[in-house]
Amino acid sequence: MMSIELALRNVRKNLREYTVYFLTLTFGVCVFYSFNAIESQQAIMGASASNGRVFKEFTQIIGIVSVFVSIILGLLILYANRFLIRRRKKEFGVYLTLGMNRGQISRILIGETVLVGLFSLAAGLALGVSLSQGMAVLTAKLMKVPVERLQFVFSAQSLIKTVVYFGVVFGLLLVFNAFMISRQKLIDLLYADRRSEWFKTPKLAQSVVVFVISLVCLGWAYGTVLTGGTAKVLDSASLRYVILAGVVGTFLFFFSLSGFLLKVFQQTKSVYLKGLNAFVLRQLSSKINTAYVSITMVCLMLFVSICTLCAGLGLSTSISQELRRGTPFDATFSTAARSNQAEGSYSGVDLPAALAQIGLPLGSVASQSLVVRYYEAGLTVPLMVRENGFEQRHEAKTYLLKLSDYNAVLRLMGQAPIALSPGHYAINYAVANAAMKRATQEYVDSRPTIAVNGVTLSAGPDTFHDNVMEVLQNQDYKMTLVVPDHLVTGLAPARDALHLNYLDPKDRSESLVQQAHPLLRAELKVDVSLWTRQEVEAFGNSTSVLVAYVAIYLGIVFLIASAAVLAIGQLSEMSDSLSRYGALRKIGVEDKMLNRSIFAQVLVYFGLPMALAAVHSVIGVAIAEQVVSAFDKGSVLGSSLFTAAVLLIVYGGYFLATYQGGKAMLRRQYAQSRRGVD
Amino acid sequence: MTSQQMPEGAVPPVILEVQDVVKLYGGKGNLTKALNGISFAVAAGEFVGIMGASGSGKTTLLNCISTIDTATSGRILIGGSDITSMKQSDLSRFRRESLGFIFQDFNLLDTLTGYENIALALTILRRSPREIDRRVKAVAAVLGISQVLKKFPYQMSGGQRQRVASARAIVTEPTLVLADEPTGALDSKSAKELLENFQSLVRQRAATILMVTHDAFSASHCDRILFIRDGQLFHQVVRGGSSRKSFFDQIMQVISLLGGDANDVD
Repeated sequence: MMSIELALRNVRKNLREYTVYFLTLTFGVCVFYSFNAIESQQAIMGASASNGRVFKEFTQIIGIVSVFVSIILGLLILYANRFLIRRRKKEFGVYLTLGMNRGQISRILIGETVLVGLFSLAAGLALGVSLSQGMAVLTAKLMKVPVERLQFVFSAQSLIKTVVYFGVVFGLLLVFNAFMISRQKLIDLLYADRRSEWFKTPKLAQSVVVFVISLVCLGWAYGTVLTGGTAKVLDSASLRYVILAGVVGTFLFFFSLSGFLLKVFQQTKSVYLKGLNAFVLRQLSSKINTAYVSITMVCLMLFVSICTLCAGLGLSTSISQELRRGTPFDATFSTAARSNQAEGSYSGVDLPAALAQIGLPLGSVASQSLVVRYYEAGLTVPLMVRENGFEQRHEAKTYLLKLSDYNAVLRLMGQAPIALSPGHYAINYAVANAAMKRATQEYVDSRPTIAVNGVTLSAGPDTFHDNVMEVLQNQDYKMTLVVPDHLVTGLAPARDALHLNYLDPKDRSESLVQQAHPLLRAELKVDVSLWTRQEVEAFGNSTSVLVAYVAIYLGIVFLIASAAVLAIGQLSEMSDSLSRYGALRKIGVEDKMLNRSIFAQVLVYFGLPMALAAVHSVIGVAIAEQVVSAFDKGSVLGSSLFTAAVLLIVYGGYFLATYQGGKAMLRRQYAQSRRGVD
Repeated sequence: MTSQQMPEGAVPPVILEVQDVVKLYGGKGNLTKALNGISFAVAAGEFVGIMGASGSGKTTLLNCISTIDTATSGRILIGGSDITSMKQSDLSRFRRESLGFIFQDFNLLDTLTGYENIALALTILRRSPREIDRRVKAVAAVLGISQVLKKFPYQMSGGQRQRVASARAIVTEPTLVLADEPTGALDSKSAKELLENFQSLVRQRAATILMVTHDAFSASHCDRILFIRDGQLFHQVVRGGSSRKSFFDQIMQVISLLGGDANDVD
């Protein structure tokens, strides 16, 4: 059929013209597939139960994020498509004058869209499947899971999902394009390349005023963040104003920038009237004047992308560090009343004896062991927690621990025991949250007295400790009051803990302990929980990998989207300006000079939003750093370096592709003009 | 052949010398001779017109002289330098420094003001801002476009645009100005004004202009007309002391002599 033939030829022609469009589609499909195929990666790892659960969670969260991602990519594709169509209006006009009807043109366009879709889908999937192989090994490495067998990783589910999601996007594209064609008048199509809209350069005074307003907005937002600190900024009301001021400031900045810069440069004649500077500045200002909305969007997307990458990776490191805190021993069994049992019904259990009962004497798995008992004293400690601008009273439930037990735990962890002078108590609270920690310190500093078992104790110097005293994953650390041994007599036990350090080989001990857990739960009529170092570390690693992957996924998609918007915008501008370059060449401008002017334009066009986004990000990452370090000390430097590397590769790649694409257009135009069309 | 016009006194130097130029298009199977051994010379301060039917080779000739295209054989000397033996990199510089161009479709940069368009020819020569300013204003005064310098091309009339383009071509004081159908897109009043401008450029600024046209009215403003047919110099007419009207009649006679599709004169 003729329209298919035409469509095929058009696609081949456009393949060269619109490398960036195809690259973007292909990258989008590739990233989408790779991240949705994460579940299939466990094929190369040991199929242990905990991994299975982790991957299920991975897939679910990535799935939710993917809906969002597909919307971004969909909008990006529609945007790019609009440029493709706009460029080709004249061609469609010619088809119409040749006597084709709109239906036939729509069919050509459908054919093209389908071909482009199939091509980029196939290329993206091929790339995605190959990327998955490397990513699987990386995932295993990051999760510190051994690669058991290297095999081909493939996810049919992700493949289908990718095809369906992008199918929907292309379907929308078809409808959009058909609608577009049906609405156009022939005359408009034929003369589409005649520019009729002209932007009036705004008055200098107007530009200056708007520019100053934008700087004031941004300055205020920065100032609030930098002087107020986290507490003030994260207060929701003030954060809203900061974001609003940032967005408005960014918009006004780009809105007024070109007029402002143009005027400034025009005043300095020695710069303006040198080489092609006047031409380059006019090109840029007319471009920025018409595209300030999309440049603002790109700048904000870049900002989000940089912050996501930086903070996400920082958070990921801090999560795994924080979780690793919870592994002072190889394993901890702990018992307490079941949730359905009445309060006070717990009378304590002898864990070593119970283990021996079910056939696992301690000596067979543990090189070191320690039994610790916590007592119930009905005590709570009032903490005033100040966070996010709010002050909240928090009653911390406190259990009692004998000084000798506490010191035994410290010794097992390899720390020096503490001394407690008579009439004093100590508090151990492993809480990681900075505000809670501050509140506890303030409480202790106020030297309160506490009555235990009829005896009044006071806080001495060096009262507050924050040791993690058991293996625990969920970081639900309880406050413990350390008191002289004799004070606990007659008190009801609250929970018992058995800490173990394994005999070698540790894997064997681990599996024996894991097997014992359900047996012990059946044997004892209380709640028995078990956490092992291996479990917590695996969870920590996988959680941090998940956070990192979601951050990288979103960060890269945002980055691709913004770079592609810039590249497509610049290239379409370039092709609109080809006649200008032709004119320049005719009056004797060398190719080297023309290429330099293209380079300057692409550089400024890519550099401006990136520069402002980078400044925004320094502030954004400063906030993120405080949030992350409120959680725990996470290194933002490492993630900043990684972010810079990703930026360099993706953004730099698009920059180069745009510059090369622009040069190629120029060369083609030159070749065509030399062939002589007279 | 009519003998060349000679003003009294010193003989003006030859600016352009085209010697036996051949231009072949196409491959072995379908060879086209666009220029078939054409030779002529243009002296300094001459306003020369080139006429010929469509396909006669006049545009090819102009492209070869303007270094946009290269001749297959023969020599072209402009101001004493042989452009047929120049390297590609030298050609751009030569074009910039020694030639001025005026096109049918103006080729003004629509993003630049009139002033900036004219200045562009000088900025790419790295002239100082002060010199640029002086020369732009001087040439604008000669061409009567001082009022439109701050306007963008889309805010000007066709005639004003072409005069801005002419100013750009002449502002660098090139050895030779090449004009390709400069009046083609202009109404008759604007065309007349432009051609009178060309005449004053030749007289006041000693410019040398080579203009391709197929319009006899435009041609009648020249000092000399070269007629081209089938890639060869067919005839030439010199105005001498005759009035524009009688020169126009002379040109019309040659055109009717040329016959064939040369009747596409508007």
